[in-house]
Amino acid sequence: MNTYNMVKQRFIKKWINTLHMLDSSIEHPLNVTERKNAIRLSSDLAIAATRSGSTVWSRALISRSGNKTTNKPMARRILKKARNRMKNRCNTLRRNGNFTAKSGTRKRTDLLKSLVPGGEVIDDKDYLIRETLDYIVYLRAQVDVMRTVAAIDLVTGNLTNDRRNK
Amino acid sequence: MLEGLVSQESLSLNSMDMSVLERLKWVQQQQQQLQQVVYQSSNNSHELLQILQFHGSNNDDLLQSSFSPFQMLGSGFGPNYNIGFGPPHEAISRTSSCHMEPVDTIEVLLKTGEENRAIALKNKRNPEVKTRGEEKTEKKIKVEAETESSMKGKSNMRNTEASSDTSKETSKKASEIQKLDYIHVRARRGQATDRHSLAERARREKISKKMKYLQDIVPGCNKVTGKAGMLDEIINYVQCLQRQVEFLSMKLAVLNPELELAVEDVSVKQFQAYFTNVVASKQSIMVDVPLFPLDQQGSLDLSAINPNQTTSIEAPSASWETQSQSLYNTSSLGFQY
Repeated sequence: MNTYNMVKQRFIKKWINTLHMLDSSIEHPLNVTERKNAIRLSSDLAIAATRSGSTVWSRALISRSGNKTTNKPMARRILKKARNRMKNRCNTLRRNGNFTAKSGTRKRTDLLKSLVPGGEVIDDKDYLIRETLDYIVYLRAQVDVMRTVAAIDLVTGNLTNDRRNK
Repeated sequence: MLEGLVSQESLSLNSMDMSVLERLKWVQQQQQQLQQVVYQSSNNSHELLQILQFHGSNNDDLLQSSFSPFQMLGSGFGPNYNIGFGPPHEAISRTSSCHMEPVDTIEVLLKTGEENRAIALKNKRNPEVKTRGEEKTEKKIKVEAETESSMKGKSNMRNTEASSDTSKETSKKASEIQKLDYIHVRARRGQATDRHSLAERARREKISKKMKYLQDIVPGCNKVTGKAGMLDEIINYVQCLQRQVEFLSMKLAVLNPELELAVEDVSVKQFQAYFTNVVASKQSIMVDVPLFPLDQQGSLDLSAINPNQTTSIEAPSASWETQSQSLYNTSSLGFQY
């Protein structure tokens, strides 16, 4: 439990940083959809950066999110931070040519590959499952933190608004 | 759209509840089986019982035990088994010892601090069961005991399958398991021992082990057997989580007119206190918090949450205006327990 809490702690720190970076580079005013996209983007980048290591999904998520931001220099800045940490932990994908599957499993495996970021390049089923495991755990952490922040926001929303209006 | 999300989330949460209960029962069954094995075995049983007494309530959090499979891989359970146990270790060690190659990624996942890694390595090399008995209060030992019992339970099940092999085992297995470089598989009676089938069996066992870990993490996987069904569950769960992230980001966008998290006004201690309060009220953060009890405006209905939780939310809010610590100033309180 200690490590899970640490993961959440690191995630939220990174998330706030990323959100600030995004905030400074995007012009206001934003409507709800744009805000949602920005929050989602920063959250995905942050969770991938928290896991920055030898996982395929975190690297794929970062590159995928980097393409989404319209502001190229900022995207490069965010990607650089994560990439520097990942450079030392390069992990070559194992490619297993002997992968045979029955049709039902094949379809599902393909679907899983499409869900997990970076899963398309993984051929080895064993490795795919391991990546999925890892991804699920961090996704869970992301959901937990966002849920907590949303609950806190709901309570303090009125407080901060009053403070700003004063 | 939101109503659809609500029903889906509640369904998944219900399945989470069931799986927690089922897992509780499963671990209790494991303990009972383990105790039976212990009573039947020789005089080393009292050490096992000591370990068993450690993990009383190790099931209050789903993720804690879902991290235990990772820690199972990270802490060498192989050598820990075979030394310090007399005759029973031969029966238990009949299972194949797993190759430790996923240690890198999963250790990274688990232990970010250097000291944690040192502890993991130390525990890997320290096979003495008796020293573990001295470190009762450490959380890690609790998890290791739990993983050990779950491993023993699994091996116990295999014991009942072909118990005739027990008498023919040698203690060579002990020295084999200590070398963590290779996959050691002991052939069962009447099975082929040539290289290819051994390797194939090792690979199959690895995959099934992974499936087992996934069962621990993905709720509701216990009822489904077969790879296709479990893949279905996993896919469903990943989709669920991704949709939750989407929904939560929309909610945060609605709640924050500017692009910032109001959390930054919150002092660190209050934020951490919120986490610990939630956990201390026996309601794990992961499970069974009604996520979307929405009313028509789409705002979260806090009264539907456990009353403990609502008080914990309101108590910090009174002192937020008085304190002004920044969130970056993270002290070591709160998140560790």
